[in-house]
Amino acid sequence: MLKDFISPFDATVVKILQDSGADIIGKTNCDEFGMGSLNIHSTHGPVKNPVGLYQVNGLVEERSAGGSSGGSAAAVAAGICKAALGTDTGGSVRLPASYCGIVGLKPSYGLVSRWGVISYADSLDCVGVLATDVQTTKQVFDQIALYDELDPTSAPNEIRAKAFKHIEERTVHKEGAVGILKGLRVGIPQEYFPSEMSPSIIQHVRRVISKLKEHGAEVISVSLPSTSYALSSYYVLATAEASSNLARYDGVQYGSYVKPPPGTELTKTSKIYAHTRTTNFGKEVQKRILLGTYALSAEYAQRIRQLICDDFNGVFAIPNYFSDLIERQQELNGQCVDVLIHPSAIRTAPLLSEAKTTGPNLDTYLQDVLTVPASLSGLPALSIPVNIDNDEHTKLQNEIRWPIGISIVGQWGTDQLVLSVGAAMEALQH
Amino acid sequence: MLLRRVYTRSLNSRAFHDLRTYQDDPRWPGWQVIIGIETHAQIKSRRKLFSDTFTPEGDELPNTKVSPFDAAFPGTLPKVNPKCVDLAIRTALALRSKISMRSSFDRKHYFYSDQPLGYQITQQYSPIATHGVLELEMPRAAPIKVRIKQIQLEQDTAKSTFNPRLQKSYIDLNRAGAGLMEIVSEPDLRSPEEAGAYVRTLQSVLRAVGSSDGNMEQGSLRCDVNVSVNRKGEVPGTRCEIKNLNSVKYMMAAIVHEIKRQTQFLDTNPGATVPQETRGFNENTFETYRLRSKEDAPDYRYMPDPNLGVLVLSQARIDDIKTNLPSLPWDIRSRLVSKYPSLNAKEKSLNVLINVNSGKEIGFDGENSGGAVEYFEELCQTPVTGGSRPTVRDPVVLLNWLTHELLGQLASRKETFSDNPLSASQFGELVDLVQDGTITGTSGKHLLRHMLANPSSRRPREIATELQLVALTSTSSSQSTTSSDSSVISELEDLCRSAVSNLPCEVAALRAGNKNVLNKIVGYVMKKSRGRADATATRELVEKMVMQDGCKLTCDPVQMCIIEYVTGLGHLRDPCVPIGAVNEQRKKGLPPPLPSQTRLANTVMLAGAGTHIRNFH
Repeated sequence: MLKDFISPFDATVVKILQDSGADIIGKTNCDEFGMGSLNIHSTHGPVKNPVGLYQVNGLVEERSAGGSSGGSAAAVAAGICKAALGTDTGGSVRLPASYCGIVGLKPSYGLVSRWGVISYADSLDCVGVLATDVQTTKQVFDQIALYDELDPTSAPNEIRAKAFKHIEERTVHKEGAVGILKGLRVGIPQEYFPSEMSPSIIQHVRRVISKLKEHGAEVISVSLPSTSYALSSYYVLATAEASSNLARYDGVQYGSYVKPPPGTELTKTSKIYAHTRTTNFGKEVQKRILLGTYALSAEYAQRIRQLICDDFNGVFAIPNYFSDLIERQQELNGQCVDVLIHPSAIRTAPLLSEAKTTGPNLDTYLQDVLTVPASLSGLPALSIPVNIDNDEHTKLQNEIRWPIGISIVGQWGTDQLVLSVGAAMEALQH
Repeated sequence: MLLRRVYTRSLNSRAFHDLRTYQDDPRWPGWQVIIGIETHAQIKSRRKLFSDTFTPEGDELPNTKVSPFDAAFPGTLPKVNPKCVDLAIRTALALRSKISMRSSFDRKHYFYSDQPLGYQITQQYSPIATHGVLELEMPRAAPIKVRIKQIQLEQDTAKSTFNPRLQKSYIDLNRAGAGLMEIVSEPDLRSPEEAGAYVRTLQSVLRAVGSSDGNMEQGSLRCDVNVSVNRKGEVPGTRCEIKNLNSVKYMMAAIVHEIKRQTQFLDTNPGATVPQETRGFNENTFETYRLRSKEDAPDYRYMPDPNLGVLVLSQARIDDIKTNLPSLPWDIRSRLVSKYPSLNAKEKSLNVLINVNSGKEIGFDGENSGGAVEYFEELCQTPVTGGSRPTVRDPVVLLNWLTHELLGQLASRKETFSDNPLSASQFGELVDLVQDGTITGTSGKHLLRHMLANPSSRRPREIATELQLVALTSTSSSQSTTSSDSSVISELEDLCRSAVSNLPCEVAALRAGNKNVLNKIVGYVMKKSRGRADATATRELVEKMVMQDGCKLTCDPVQMCIIEYVTGLGHLRDPCVPIGAVNEQRKKGLPPPLPSQTRLANTVMLAGAGTHIRNFH
């Protein structure tokens, strides 16, 4: 649809990075309009996970890099660049980061400007950072997390300051990279270990958690009971917003115009637009637009979204300062955790052949099950790779070791705390 | 934004409770007509509703007032223009509405080429204001209270023009995204006339508070009208909506046609209900026509806009707007009349003043450019300049000068009141100069013209002296300096003397007792003095000169008289022949009646020239 479209202006994030001296070396592949979890719905073809192509033992496996920002993750994993930007609507930065074995940050909603980001679902879209390590991720994030008056959902500085105060309290007098873990209250949400999850992932995550305990973190099991509804709520809301946001691609203003065949009733606008939209939108995009069009009322999905937010606010030590229902949060019984930790995905990167043959089915939507709750609540979430070098199973089988990601989720605005915890965990594993 | 609230559709099917008592209309006896109006008023803000592009003023080239957001470029986001919100609050306050401290924006989806986004951002579920009232003054009837259901902010569409020859549509995005207020009335109107009064009153309110130009011809105000009819005492009928009416006249005509159409339908189809339709109005036939039926009504798939979130207003902001709210026309009028009772008789001029004060005179974004009323009151409050003791200026005189001379001259310069370069103190002094006789009325007008053409901060007295406009008067005015006084008087005397000598016939006639001739002589002096001569002083002086033998005639008056008579050049043929008789002859194509010898002789004798009368036959 927008293959030949060149925007007359730069996105705020691109502008900031260029102004700070960054070299923008190119654009990367992604799922069309960010819709997909495997980066296979692209006019440029699927993104191949570089991990499978660079194995030393000569094995070559074509696996998905994850989506939708699969190209960005692959570029970082392949060493083409130090860091890349991506957009995360329901996990599109964290999932590919997890599959490609790199770091991916979805910042708090409203901290990074969306001006210049092609909207998929405005209330969920976030610009995220993908990089080789937490330090680089932080470096990029620190630059781009600025208030932008061009973005109506950009968080004003006074709200940012409230959340930052909490981080200061938590990080003060903490020495060294892992010093932050001392006294840190880490919540483990029990709903984030579904039956579909591969056992080796659970095993690795457990190992990381026990290391956290060793370094003084207080590990608490918490419950976020509405999690099971998150995925359905997400798909209703995201597709409803998408069907609205993508209405502008009608071939008149945007998208190459497809002439209606002879005999078409030209007096009806919809008849003329239909041909352009049918020809130019990919199958996955068409499917989501139609889903969204039929979601006549997103009321229930909104209510579920609220329940999910309530769940999070119930476990975190501080309230969500970005929410306009701050009074409501006071009633929730706080379990006072600083961060939540859970696996980033239920599995490792799937084979591309697998994805192609089975075609899109409900399982592909399941990829997002662990990432969408943070998106629905606008919380910061960081996926870092788990050290799998000493994985006995893969060693024995002489198989490619496919990366596993672990996510750290914080209350709104505590991105720096999440990054600090991520850095500590990174340090622990080496 | 994150935690958005749950939206519920407002209940449309409420029980109908009629606040109005039924009145029979001889045009459609036995029928009750129910009318509700949706008005779209373009907000008079400098910039558009969600982008910082300038609002087009109508004379721009197509697609020159467009930013990436207005053209719905991918990656752009809306941002509420607070000035538009302020103007909507002004409107809400003027319509005595309940202002929502929290309102929100929704997307109304439909595909059309004049809608680049594919949806219109509006306020369907949670408008900025609800429950307002607009009171209509009706001639020979009690005022009508029309309830305002809601006021909502929304985007205007682009303008599309169809070229039938080329079979092409052209899109001009200048208007796309400009701010609109949709003002929805309750179905409280009962006749086309009331509907007309509603729109006119609404226009004057919008203009008064400066929130819209309210100009239907230029499209800054557009109306959709809902009309239903029912037999007296029965439940209201099904309504039909007539879309896009762009003048009050057309709107009233459309309602009349719609009433006739619906009553005819019900008469010929007993027991049936009028099919619910959206209709258009044909400006050539004065009839409405079907656009679409209820079944074809589009599903707009309203959805809360995820970018704009909740629009939160503080009480302080509303209070601030309330304190600075420009007065409504009827409030201004009653205030002025109670303050200056003498203005009560000057209804027309007062209307001019109030009309100029409102609407166009408030700048973009509601900026106060100093209204005409404010100017007028400043004039009234300042005592007469230069007087030894403070004297109050006459408001009627000021109003006349302001509405007739100042506005008139501005209009002839194709300027409006906002272009007026004269400060209130300058204009006030100018009127004072005329009032105290320092300059004549004619000179005052001349001075005003000069000051409009050459704006400066100089005092009118200074300019008047420089332009030699100071009146030629015999009586010394209080302001005149002694040195110039004598010279001024002598100049007037000179002028009068030359008039008397140059107009012997008239002088003769005057001596013969024809007082009307005096006006001509005075007019001559006025002309020669370029309007500086004071009429009263001149009149006195001329009379004195003529009657007191104080001058010598330089030519034969009879001869002059005869020459004028024969050639028909003069205004007066024979001072003793009434002008009516002259005209009577002229109409018949005959020469004017000859003056009788005796009369002529008498005239000459009276003139005291002592010359004999020639027989010119």
